[in-house]
Amino acid sequence: MINGVRRGSNAAPWFALKVVNTVIFIFILGPILITAAASFNEANQSKFPPRGFSLKWWADAFSDDWVDPVLFSFRLAICAALVSTIVALPLTFGLTRYRFKGRDALITLALGPLMLPALVISIGLLQFFYLIGLGDYVGFWALLAGHFVICLPFSVRTIAISLYGLPANVEKAAASLGASPVTVLFKVVFPLIKNGILAGAVFSFIHSFSDVNVSLFISRPGQMPVSVKILGFLEFGFAPTLAAVAILTMIIPLVLIIAIERFGGLGDFIYGERARG
Amino acid sequence: MTAPPATDVIDKRARSLVPWLLVAGPTLALLVFFVLPNAILLSAGFLKSEGQTLTGQLTFENYAFFFGRPTYVAALLRTFFIALSVGVLVVVLGFPLAYFLTRTRSRWKGLLIALSLSPLLASVVVRTYGWFIIFNRFGALNDFLLYTGFIKERLAFMPSTGAIIVGLTHSLLPYGVLTIMAAVQSLNPQLELAAMSLGASRTRTFLRVTLPLCLPGIAGGFILAFSISLSAYATPAILGGPSTQTIATLLYTFMIAILDWSVGSMLGTILIVTSGLMVYLATKLGAKRSAL
Repeated sequence: MINGVRRGSNAAPWFALKVVNTVIFIFILGPILITAAASFNEANQSKFPPRGFSLKWWADAFSDDWVDPVLFSFRLAICAALVSTIVALPLTFGLTRYRFKGRDALITLALGPLMLPALVISIGLLQFFYLIGLGDYVGFWALLAGHFVICLPFSVRTIAISLYGLPANVEKAAASLGASPVTVLFKVVFPLIKNGILAGAVFSFIHSFSDVNVSLFISRPGQMPVSVKILGFLEFGFAPTLAAVAILTMIIPLVLIIAIERFGGLGDFIYGERARG
Repeated sequence: MTAPPATDVIDKRARSLVPWLLVAGPTLALLVFFVLPNAILLSAGFLKSEGQTLTGQLTFENYAFFFGRPTYVAALLRTFFIALSVGVLVVVLGFPLAYFLTRTRSRWKGLLIALSLSPLLASVVVRTYGWFIIFNRFGALNDFLLYTGFIKERLAFMPSTGAIIVGLTHSLLPYGVLTIMAAVQSLNPQLELAAMSLGASRTRTFLRVTLPLCLPGIAGGFILAFSISLSAYATPAILGGPSTQTIATLLYTFMIAILDWSVGSMLGTILIVTSGLMVYLATKLGAKRSAL
């Protein structure tokens, strides 16, 4: 019915909208496709359209020079996702299930890293580590601290969405049937919010893996996420190797998303707010 | 009435401790790794420093030093100009896309949504790299314009403020689309039909019904793009140059090259204050609804 009205009297504007959006789609996807194409150049410049066809830049991308930072980013993102999930679980449980003094302030605090520029968090952490005499830990440990901070809001939000979707009665029912609080937690609550926990971890992983800003000041040679390393190399030259590495770093989260989508689905969490009305 | 049995009192007291026990650890982690570093940063801007080491001396010299130099003030103004343009462009491009993606009945809807959000998977460095290939002196755009005969000699599209604006708009468009999509989704299509059945023209319906009802989402998208642009480093670093410094690139220069951490911290303070203002505005407009 609604469709009929639109197709009937609204056909022209709808068609115009489609044309406009085609252009916007080209704008969105063009640069990424161009980067992908440039990585197959035979010339030693990132040219588009590519001059000739060669896989040599991809071979470069898979040399130790670039595989090491990619693996470093991968490890860092896994650790950041794990830590932020583990910290977010009790925090979110407390925030959603209880009303207590300072709750509002704590919510602001937990979501705060989302609102503060990550660049600023990076400088703050740099100075903090030097001030407490742990300057030597700038590198992996400072990066983990920074990535944990910027990932926490993602874990908290997705876990909160699934906890709100879980009626408190379920827990009460289990408890009234004689389950101990620990049993309730592990046999009832965790299985039911499993998807929320997983989605939070995936968002955290992607956020950490693609981050530049928070890592900028707290990396050191050898302990540097691949995004920061690419950025450093961009100043010297634009060899197609960088295009290949750039595309490579995009494939890893893409594979992860597809795998998770098969497994449970993330759509609920992208539209989480709508689901709650 | 008799007093409740003693065990109940203890139980209740114990239970009121539960939320505190749950949040104590996480709160401590946030205080140490988030609040404390930012507090150090905020105070460092007002302290004298000898290179990387801060002295305890209170000073406003950093601010005087920065605001006394026209190049730096120009960088500050340029940063705001970039953020404002990016915010507007993200909303102008994001609205038609978000509207289409929520209302379309195409069976490719899921794929189209995934495609339009896919840049979020890539680091901003990756997203900006493509624009470098297009904009640089020997890049695709110059090649194309030479080939088609529009220009006789190569133009310098970058480094320029315009290139930075295009690159940032591209990076931040998915955020705008996501925010505006939420608003279009909560808008009941029946309202638009009702307006039209009451005699409003399509344009009038759009301007008086659709647009006002989507305004919180549009404002949210604008503020998000604006505040992320303010502190974006990678895009201005790649597509800009010495003549197009922004607060973030200056901040990098002071922290890494000049090693003057107190001026760097002062610039960080400017970023915190401006994005804090934006967040305050966002909550005032009701644009950002938290899940909690």
